[in-house]
Amino acid sequence: MIEAAVEHLVRGIVDNPDDVTVDLVTGRRGRTLEVRVHPDDLGKVIGRAGRTAKALRTVTTAIGGRGIRVDVVDTDEVR
Amino acid sequence: MTQADSTPEPADVTADDGADDGDLLVREGDIAGDYLERLLDIADVDGDIDMDVEDDRAVVAVVGEGLDALVGPHGQVLDALQELTRLAVVQQTGVRSRLMLDVGGWRARRKAELTATGTRAAEKVLATGEPVQLAPMTPFERKVVHDAVAAVDGVTSESEGVQPERRVVVLPAPGAPSAG
Repeated sequence: MIEAAVEHLVRGIVDNPDDVTVDLVTGRRGRTLEVRVHPDDLGKVIGRAGRTAKALRTVTTAIGGRGIRVDVVDTDEVR
Repeated sequence: MTQADSTPEPADVTADDGADDGDLLVREGDIAGDYLERLLDIADVDGDIDMDVEDDRAVVAVVGEGLDALVGPHGQVLDALQELTRLAVVQQTGVRSRLMLDVGGWRARRKAELTATGTRAAEKVLATGEPVQLAPMTPFERKVVHDAVAAVDGVTSESEGVQPERRVVVLPAPGAPSAG
């Protein structure tokens, strides 16, 4: 549910909504939502001074509960 | 940026006349309503969505019971949702949005409280002749307090300090007879 909610929130604010994916990954540090967007939309999802990413985290915690991290993954980077 | 709401907007950026402005605000409300309705569906939260235009801005309200989680402490979640909703609107219209979001009547209640706070401070200043400094507030909250103080004769108000510590100070109006 929380993946779908965040996916919806992000799709609404980017130029390339079809390129948005959100995966819930459970690791040693707990649950993380990995948000991937078109490279051109990275700035939109992060926002000035990280403002948009912060808003996404705040809403994610409200809907999904504490302890869910939100990572905006830069797909341009070779990992 | 949530601009200081006291700053007058340039009246006309893209639209040619008032009718177009109104159409744009209605469209903003529609886009915001769709965005929020879908979110409520996915999150399985019950709530109805009201749309309105007030003071040249679109106002969208999610109404219902059990919406506290979407308001959050000090309205933090509400502010975050408003931020995202404005971005979703701008994404479609291409025009900066001043849309106001309310959830569970929180902003309306807060506005009534702040108006009462401003009025009480003004009355205290009138009675004592001494300035009254209020708690730090957001730009929107300060605007509400300034409006309440402005409705009282013999007092004036200013904002001082730097965000997030910026606060309203209520003062005797220059030239007003000081209290005895």
